[in-house]
Amino acid sequence: MAAVVNRVTQNLVLIMLGCAVLRISAFSTTYLNYVKPGFRPFLIGAGAVLMILGVAGLIQAWRPGKGSPGAEGHGHSPEHGQGREHARHSRGQGHGHDHAHGGPRVAWLMCLPVFAIFMIAPPALGSFAAARSETPPPRSQALTAFTPLSGDGPVDMPIGEFIGRAWDDDNRSLTGRTVRLTGFVVPSKKKGQWYVTRMQIACCAADAFPLKVAVKGIQAPPPDTWVEVTGTWIPQTFGRMPNGVVYPQLSGTDLMKVDTPDEPYE
Amino acid sequence: MSELRTDPRSPWADEDATVPPDSWGRGTGPKHTLPWGFALVVVLLVVGRFTLAPHLTAPALQTWATIFVAICVQALPFLVFGVALSAAITAFVPASFWTRALPRHPAAAVPVAGMAGAVLPGCECASVPVASGLMARGVPPAAALAFLLASPAINPIVLVATAVAFPGQPLMVVSRFGASLAVAVLVGWLWLRFGRSEWLPIPSRPHGDGPKWARFGEAMRHDLLHAGGFLIVGGLAAATLNVMVPREWLAALAEVPWLAVVVMALLAVLLSICSEADAFVAASMTAFSPTAKLAFLVVGPMVDLKLIALQAGTFGRAFALRFVPLTFVLAVLVSVLFGWLLL
Repeated sequence: MAAVVNRVTQNLVLIMLGCAVLRISAFSTTYLNYVKPGFRPFLIGAGAVLMILGVAGLIQAWRPGKGSPGAEGHGHSPEHGQGREHARHSRGQGHGHDHAHGGPRVAWLMCLPVFAIFMIAPPALGSFAAARSETPPPRSQALTAFTPLSGDGPVDMPIGEFIGRAWDDDNRSLTGRTVRLTGFVVPSKKKGQWYVTRMQIACCAADAFPLKVAVKGIQAPPPDTWVEVTGTWIPQTFGRMPNGVVYPQLSGTDLMKVDTPDEPYE
Repeated sequence: MSELRTDPRSPWADEDATVPPDSWGRGTGPKHTLPWGFALVVVLLVVGRFTLAPHLTAPALQTWATIFVAICVQALPFLVFGVALSAAITAFVPASFWTRALPRHPAAAVPVAGMAGAVLPGCECASVPVASGLMARGVPPAAALAFLLASPAINPIVLVATAVAFPGQPLMVVSRFGASLAVAVLVGWLWLRFGRSEWLPIPSRPHGDGPKWARFGEAMRHDLLHAGGFLIVGGLAAATLNVMVPREWLAALAEVPWLAVVVMALLAVLLSICSEADAFVAASMTAFSPTAKLAFLVVGPMVDLKLIALQAGTFGRAFALRFVPLTFVLAVLVSVLFGWLLL
């Protein structure tokens, strides 16, 4: 009987899921490992709704229904409750096995994400995922104009922008400039280089794909280390895109280990 | 559960009881049954947190868990929103409203309902409970199904996302809108003509004379527990396939035009990406033809693993078994037609 989700348990499951969602969205920035930053209010809202629903249901379940259909807005009209009970009884006698298959059993599965969140504590996608999928070949961004880089010294730049400037900027604004990229380390099969990588997500981690820049001239740190690498662009020598996947290259001069950023994706 | 639904003797009795009555389990104990199962879950959670957690660090497992949690976390707000809207339809909108709002003849109601999908912003997880709420309120099933298929694909947010993902290709947005609406209406009409009522038990809701807010809460809890559980099933399957199937395999198939369309359509089913994000993914698959990308965009919001699980959970297995292949085939055919005409 324990497997059947009774009323109290249903609400406890809802509360637990709500807690887990609030834990990763309202009280930490863990949710950034899974979705875009803009999702936060929706997650908090969804977590709060789950909590409210669960708590209201618990109150209702623990206070016998005969109390007050009107008060607090919870509870059932007596005749309705009886009707349901009757339905349950007739079925319970008729085919108890079917009954064990009752719908809410699947609700137990809602504990799974809670388990995953608390026990595995899934980190942001790292070098394993990045090594799996190849970066799509650069797209032509005819509509995007790249502003010239101003100022002296190293320029901090998202990896996506570096790749865009490397492939599609007719003014070759990267030439001779020192840039600083932040990402995690993905080893390369080719000798003498490694990739500084950031995953890009459109909505959630299920649609992530890696943005990689090949770094040369610096010893590869261990995989998944977050680093800030400074260097200059190595202009590609080929005239037009070769077939297959190619990455823009950076001649590295300086390397610094950094903490994992709050927002691990671009 | 679907066995119960198709049970000739009491087709929907189970629906009423799936949120068990207050008296549930009280027969055995003096007052309440203690939630032992839940206690077990909590114990497992606490013990696992301290004994297992340090060992669960294999990169493949972590990647899988990240994608699984990401799919669930991303879909949950939409599911809650959809369930709330559905419960609101059940609790607050009188049934007479729908008979007035929709054309009397079901065949005319189908395209109207499909177009109405353009108004509801949200992704596919929201549309399933809303459609079930509509059916419970007396909207013809075929019209509710057209709404179910159309709303995640042609709502303004999705169309804007598509336009952003395909800069300079407005025809992609037009094709997506046209093809998705066409599929939704065609499926609705086919269902109207050939569908049988025993395949699609009208989901009944906890109803009654209680205060409106109580009914609202009841309906929401009922839907959440069902749809939520099945969403997790879909999330598990999608995350597993996402980690296990290397995408390079697929790129190799992109060379053959007709195969590319089928591959992209299947990929849309397997990856189960939210309809608001799928345009970006499609755009990144540069190896594929525009028609194949269109197939991805049209199939994704209508058929994918988490949707199949949700539909089977909400409407029953007998329904999903017929509805899903029909929608998939029509979606692929219509995409090819639109791709050939417009792209």
